[in-house]
Amino acid sequence: MAALAPLVEDRTQLLERGRAPGGAKSRLGILVVPALLMFLAFAFLPLIGVLVLSFTDWDGIGDIGFVGGQSWVEVLTDPGTWHAVWLTFAVMIITWLVQTPISLLLGTFIAGQQRYRAFLAVLFFLPLLMSSAAIAIAFKSLLDPNFGLSAGLHLPFLAQDWLGDPTLAFVTVIFVIAWQFIPFHTLLYQGGVRQIPEQMYEAAQIDGAGRVRQFFSITVPQLKYTIITSSTLMLVGSLVYFDLIWVLTQGGPGNATRILALDMYIRGFQANQMGAASVIGVILVVVGLVLTLIIQRLAGRDLAASQMEGM
Amino acid sequence: MTISRTSRRTFLGLAAGSALGAFGLSACGTSGPAQPGGAASAPATGGGAAGAATMWALTGEPNEKIRKDSVDAFSKLGKGTIEVTFFQNDPYKAKIRTAVGAGQAPTLIFGWGGGILKSYADAGQVDDLTSWLGENAAFKNQYIASTWGAATIDDKIFAVPIQTTQPIVMYYNKTLFEKAGAQPPATWDDVMNLVNVFNGQGVAPFSLGGQSKWTSMMWLEYLFDRIGGPEVFNAIYANKPNAWSDPAVIESCTKVQELVKANGFAKGFSSIAADTNADQALLFTGKAAMLLQGAWVYGGMKSTAAKFVSSGLGYGNFPTVPGGKGDPKNTVGNPTNYFSISSKATEEEKTVAKAYFTDGLFTDAVVDAFIQSGGVPVVKSAASKLASSPDAPFLQFVYDMVDQAPNFQQSWDQALSPAQAEKLLNNIDQLFLLKITPEQFADAMNATIEA
Amino acid sequence: MSTTVATPVTAPPKVSSAQRRRVKGRRNYVGGLFAWLWLVIIIIPIYYVVITTFKDQGAYFTQNPLALPNPPTMTAYQEVVEANIIRYFFNSVIVTVGAVIPLVLFSFLASYAIVRGNSRLLRVSRSMFLLGLAIPLQATIIPIYLIITRIHMYDSLGALILPSIAFGIPLTVLILSNFIRDVPRELFESMRLDGCTDWQMAWRLAFPLTKPAIVTVSIYNGLNVWNGFLFALILTQSPEKRVMPLALWAFQGEYQVNIPAVLAAVVLSTLPILILYMVGRRQLLRGLTAGFGK
Repeated sequence: MAALAPLVEDRTQLLERGRAPGGAKSRLGILVVPALLMFLAFAFLPLIGVLVLSFTDWDGIGDIGFVGGQSWVEVLTDPGTWHAVWLTFAVMIITWLVQTPISLLLGTFIAGQQRYRAFLAVLFFLPLLMSSAAIAIAFKSLLDPNFGLSAGLHLPFLAQDWLGDPTLAFVTVIFVIAWQFIPFHTLLYQGGVRQIPEQMYEAAQIDGAGRVRQFFSITVPQLKYTIITSSTLMLVGSLVYFDLIWVLTQGGPGNATRILALDMYIRGFQANQMGAASVIGVILVVVGLVLTLIIQRLAGRDLAASQMEGM
Repeated sequence: MTISRTSRRTFLGLAAGSALGAFGLSACGTSGPAQPGGAASAPATGGGAAGAATMWALTGEPNEKIRKDSVDAFSKLGKGTIEVTFFQNDPYKAKIRTAVGAGQAPTLIFGWGGGILKSYADAGQVDDLTSWLGENAAFKNQYIASTWGAATIDDKIFAVPIQTTQPIVMYYNKTLFEKAGAQPPATWDDVMNLVNVFNGQGVAPFSLGGQSKWTSMMWLEYLFDRIGGPEVFNAIYANKPNAWSDPAVIESCTKVQELVKANGFAKGFSSIAADTNADQALLFTGKAAMLLQGAWVYGGMKSTAAKFVSSGLGYGNFPTVPGGKGDPKNTVGNPTNYFSISSKATEEEKTVAKAYFTDGLFTDAVVDAFIQSGGVPVVKSAASKLASSPDAPFLQFVYDMVDQAPNFQQSWDQALSPAQAEKLLNNIDQLFLLKITPEQFADAMNATIEA
Repeated sequence: MSTTVATPVTAPPKVSSAQRRRVKGRRNYVGGLFAWLWLVIIIIPIYYVVITTFKDQGAYFTQNPLALPNPPTMTAYQEVVEANIIRYFFNSVIVTVGAVIPLVLFSFLASYAIVRGNSRLLRVSRSMFLLGLAIPLQATIIPIYLIITRIHMYDSLGALILPSIAFGIPLTVLILSNFIRDVPRELFESMRLDGCTDWQMAWRLAFPLTKPAIVTVSIYNGLNVWNGFLFALILTQSPEKRVMPLALWAFQGEYQVNIPAVLAAVVLSTLPILILYMVGRRQLLRGLTAGFGK
């Protein structure tokens, strides 16, 4: 069997979902049951638990006292909460802006070069093999102003207050996250680029298009799916990202890196305010939902467009 | 590329099989941490009628080995067995709280006393040991008196001291002082003078692991006490309104910020993490002259920089502040660690736990082990044994410090309630970063006073 | 059966490497510069990690952090192996494999059903999955803990596997359904006319065509489960049930941390996966590039 590329002449056909006729509908329902059951038992039920807890002022060990919206008011009027929200969005967006172009370029490059490709691909992948905690520990030592990288390379300008200055700490966090995940997205783009048929480039070359033009007119549009997948994973992932930032900065200095997930953990497990932590939890779920709807809307539009651009 | 019938079946079979296999390997669990696990139950030696208790404690040498040895030795006495599990510090705090909250705590709960113990006591999760201690006076009297403070809530005792005492000590690099021709600081004025001296020599006056905020907190703990006496923090602890607006608070914060502005702390101190031991390293590599830290770093430095410790390390108490009301012999730090007994444990488990207290906790073997490892166990019997240790001068210094202190202030982040402690560390961080003024600090902390 | 003129473009047609290089000639300078720069950025921390594992704990501070150990020592590795890290590694493997396979399997079936079907159950499921996209781990951990202890699965690897599967489903379903939606209706119709059941269509048609997505989500979820710390911390206890992330904490005491040992644990845990990757890289890439060209 050959996997078939769609050469579709009728655009309207694209927009129709493939619906199975008649009787097959009921049988399809069964297929969703395993996932649904798992999800309900171990994800949805706890989510309800979180919602319930958000209306309490439980401290984790005593009696659970219902206080109506008190925890909600407390959290929503705390400027720290909004700071955390803002930080979370900043991390999400800047992460995307930093990681996507770099991964795109690197992925394209590795896909093309024949000789060094294998060698580079292996090395590039290494950060992914390390756990988040491990990476954070390694960088914490490396960034020490007296015993870290700056001392090692004898480069005094590297001895900045990386983890102590609020702005620098934020930059450091973005950098280390990028260090960890660019390999993954590079891999995705590498796979995506290798699917692009050679003829397209040759045709463009014949038409006189230069490198850059080819990149933007062929490579990028053809990678639409990959970009959407990669971006979805990146954005949703950074929303609940916790381990690395926690080990690296614990949300500090001050509140400079206290994104929502950290804020939630600190409120719940350090300040022992499970009610307030649950409020943040609900906020995260809502933000995730909104985010997905936005992505879905963008993805829906692009589905039609890219199909037409294919051969 | 059709998947043929057979290979699809194979694939599905494989998938299901591996999942089930993983499941089968793993599914046999227990119904909670309070039940001793199957594979890990302690061997029952001696009397079969004695019960079993569970214990949670912290990882990290040397205390982990000493604890394990003491539990093994106790198990041989026939009064019961104890199953001990070790956890790392920070994760442990999250884990124990979850377990206690679900009514699934181990019999013996490791803790630091203070605010968290209070929350357990208020929720009825730990037993009141006051009457039992009354009945076992000999046991109670073996301890250094000041160590009971952190375990006492509203005049009732809810925990038993178990390890070494860890006051905060001023360490200094003797070699650097000789080179500068200076003396260790006795007063705060000396401190500010030394800052100029050492900066002039290109050496950081004080090392500080500012990224771990509790290290900065130590400075304020001492300053509050030296300037205003223990009453200042006692008022805060008692949640008196506006307790943070005490003039001693403002003066302490001001002094600390003066020190920061005068470059008293190592450059980039807010990036230096105490948990990578980078702050100690500054001291023993000769990059900083002094370090205010806990007694525990002595043991750490001994294992990584033995030569420095034996010939170049000096130590003393925190300097006085001119015009200050606090007794210069007062000390701050961690009095020790504690074990509490979970109120949800069975009678049998509690009996074993109490037997461990009287017969396993501070046997001579245990006391010797602590002393050999460079720590001062909190029992009076240690006093005579210190001289035999290779670290005798330091241990004697620590023992005297704790024994003679009219007041031993527990670390604030342990003494206060967790919610207050979290805000406190945050604000201290801002203070040292010069992002807020002392007045703003006081206002922010006043807002945390629990009505 | 509608006629479709299909141009098979599975793999790029055979072009000589010289031709490829000619075609992609000049782009390589910018990309090349980037790649080498990035290589340096990646290598330095890894180099640091590796050489530190051969250093003595004391020497760690007195030597230049980037200098080779002098003298090199295996103490850190000794300590790590003695601390039973092999056991932790296997536990991690069990949990990761035991979670990712059912996760991807269930999600694939669910995605297929959601995209291809149209019943209320399916629509409701879809909405519920969307809700679960950004599940706040730190907040749900307590309710999960209560559930796990109630069903007597506390301190088992299954306690780690089940929630991991559940949490990964929403995102996986999202990504997979995007890909399945892309398969043209005609292909399904022609198969149905040949007498295929839905089950067969799912496996013979949808599955191969969504391979890149399946590989992607498998890696993504695999990484997340492999790195997962909070579940393991709260839901397991005995040393026999610990997973790798917890192993790192074994070398961090209340006041001291043994950096060479921590990093040695990191290296030992990474090595087998590295070998696996080097061996399976081709398969991985093949999986990622299967399916029709986009």
